[in-house]
Amino acid sequence: MNNKIPNFVKTNQFGLLILVIVFICIFSFSTDGFTSRFNIYALSRVVALDIMIGLAMMVVILTGGLNLSLGALGVSAAMFGGWCMESMGIPISITIILVLAFGSFLGWINGFVTVRTGVHSFIVTLATMSIYFGFMTLLTEAEAFRKLPEAFTDFGSLKLFNKYISPLLIISVLTCFVLYYIFKYTDIGRKLIAAGANPDAAELSGISVDRMFIYCHMLSGFLAALAGIMLTARIGAAIPSMAGHLGFDWLLPAFLAPVLGGTLLSGGKVTVFGTMLGAILVTLINNGLYLIDVGEFWVRFFLGIILLGAVLLDRAREYFTVKNSIVS
Amino acid sequence: MSALLKKDWFGLGLVLIFGSILISLFKPAFISPFNLYVLMLSVSLMLVVAMSQMIIIAIGQMNLSVGAIGGLVAISFTGLMEVYSMSIFPAVLIGLLIGLACGFINGYITVKTGISAFIITLATLYIFKGMNLGITEAQPFYEIPEAVKFFGNAKIFGPIPYLVIIPIIITVLMWILMNRTSLGRYMLAYGNNVQSSELIGISSTKIVIYAHVISGLLAAIGGMLVVCRLQLGTPNIGDSWLLPSFAAPVIGGAILAGGKVDVIATAFGVVLVSIISQALVIFKIDPFFVQIFLGFMILLAVFINRYREYREERRTKVFSDE
Repeated sequence: MNNKIPNFVKTNQFGLLILVIVFICIFSFSTDGFTSRFNIYALSRVVALDIMIGLAMMVVILTGGLNLSLGALGVSAAMFGGWCMESMGIPISITIILVLAFGSFLGWINGFVTVRTGVHSFIVTLATMSIYFGFMTLLTEAEAFRKLPEAFTDFGSLKLFNKYISPLLIISVLTCFVLYYIFKYTDIGRKLIAAGANPDAAELSGISVDRMFIYCHMLSGFLAALAGIMLTARIGAAIPSMAGHLGFDWLLPAFLAPVLGGTLLSGGKVTVFGTMLGAILVTLINNGLYLIDVGEFWVRFFLGIILLGAVLLDRAREYFTVKNSIVS
Repeated sequence: MSALLKKDWFGLGLVLIFGSILISLFKPAFISPFNLYVLMLSVSLMLVVAMSQMIIIAIGQMNLSVGAIGGLVAISFTGLMEVYSMSIFPAVLIGLLIGLACGFINGYITVKTGISAFIITLATLYIFKGMNLGITEAQPFYEIPEAVKFFGNAKIFGPIPYLVIIPIIITVLMWILMNRTSLGRYMLAYGNNVQSSELIGISSTKIVIYAHVISGLLAAIGGMLVVCRLQLGTPNIGDSWLLPSFAAPVIGGAILAGGKVDVIATAFGVVLVSIISQALVIFKIDPFFVQIFLGFMILLAVFINRYREYREERRTKVFSDE
């Protein structure tokens, strides 16, 4: 009987898609302005960043680890970019390359220390989080870079598709496709997954697990730096506090998107499009709560409740699909 | 003597003694009564917070909501006294009950769903913090009874503040719990190996819920102690607890995978972190350096622990898959 249900319906992504649609319906009917051009544009700018942050976390969760330094790393990279453009007058294209390289380097540090000490990356990145953020604050003296080239800031406020969509969202969606391709069809992508799923088996089949883990952390740094650049373009300035103290404001979306998307915390599984849907869901709920006017201060509370609900719902879905598959 | 050398806290203790002597040689202000008083206050507060995280590390989990529980209890405690003009004792009792309830929620959901405590406590972090902000609308409570203010700032004799009493009692109780009671040993067994601890008849439900309840209670006490110290209940109490709460147990040699914690070493970890933060202030070093330093301290501790494990492995010549 189970065979009649298409496989896609049983996946996590399907459940997420339903939730996204349900929430869109609820918010469109219960609030004014949810479907307005302005709101959709604003949503697309926020979602773009949340997707990127979620992906940056996802590639580290693949190793069974976590990257707490994500926000600090992203902001440090963005501030580096601001410095390159404003103080050094380096052209935009070269700056972006330098920032991405810098982000990858910070990611490499995370990966290298994690692999060499054998300590859980939670602790390593907890430490590097305060190191990166501390150095960034010291070097910039907590001053923002506000005189960025116009071509750069204009890109962040560009409106495409009848002024509905931000180009930032297109970058994020493209990144999703690239990552999907890498994990699905390339040699290195499969090796990364194998190393995350079962390090011992991967090691025995000739994959250097340590190197793969370092690659994952570098990729995470790369994506976080990209998110930092996108945020800078969106705000129009590189501000040390743009991701909150120690970059904490990025942590919730960073974990929620991949976890809601079905990425296993124990590692070895990635769901690129699940992460994308997870990010969309979180942004929708956040935005809708503000529009419903639950009160600015209660938004966090409801966000926490909804997330808990979503995680529990996902567990229930898993439980029933497992039960069904055993029956058939 | 050789048994002493093997203890986690022994090396830390040496570092503490020599470090303090060195710092006071350069800056005699370090051992001034006022500085010792400030040092003891910061140690007292962080001790409770570190213990709250340590017990969760013992069962191999993490509790991100420690700060959020502390903050929620802090504003409830002060709010009850200011808005409902409740007297101190029932307010403390309700504060403890809130901490207990928060911990129970964390533990119950974690153990019943089997979802990682990291995710559950991340969600409850937002719930508790959201309740805090929703109730206070980000405004602090200022009207604190004199007795509470007194307890937070008065000295017993010399530079020793009253505030150290409760953290010291808690540390002793935690040591007894982890080293002398079956509950504590069961927690370590559970943290070490969930499957085998279940096979020898330890109830996971009971262990996980007890650990989270104790963690919640300690976070609640931490929150109320901060209120005594600050003489007001601000909604942002607890926001900065995350890093130090992990730093002290890790510097004290706790293994994040669970199954190994050392109460005395954790306490020494707290003292070490406080001394270094204090020393950096005395040497007039940028406060942001304190943060960088804390980060490096954690990394250093991690490397040292790793090296000791490596030596241990070589000595015992037991094959390890790590």
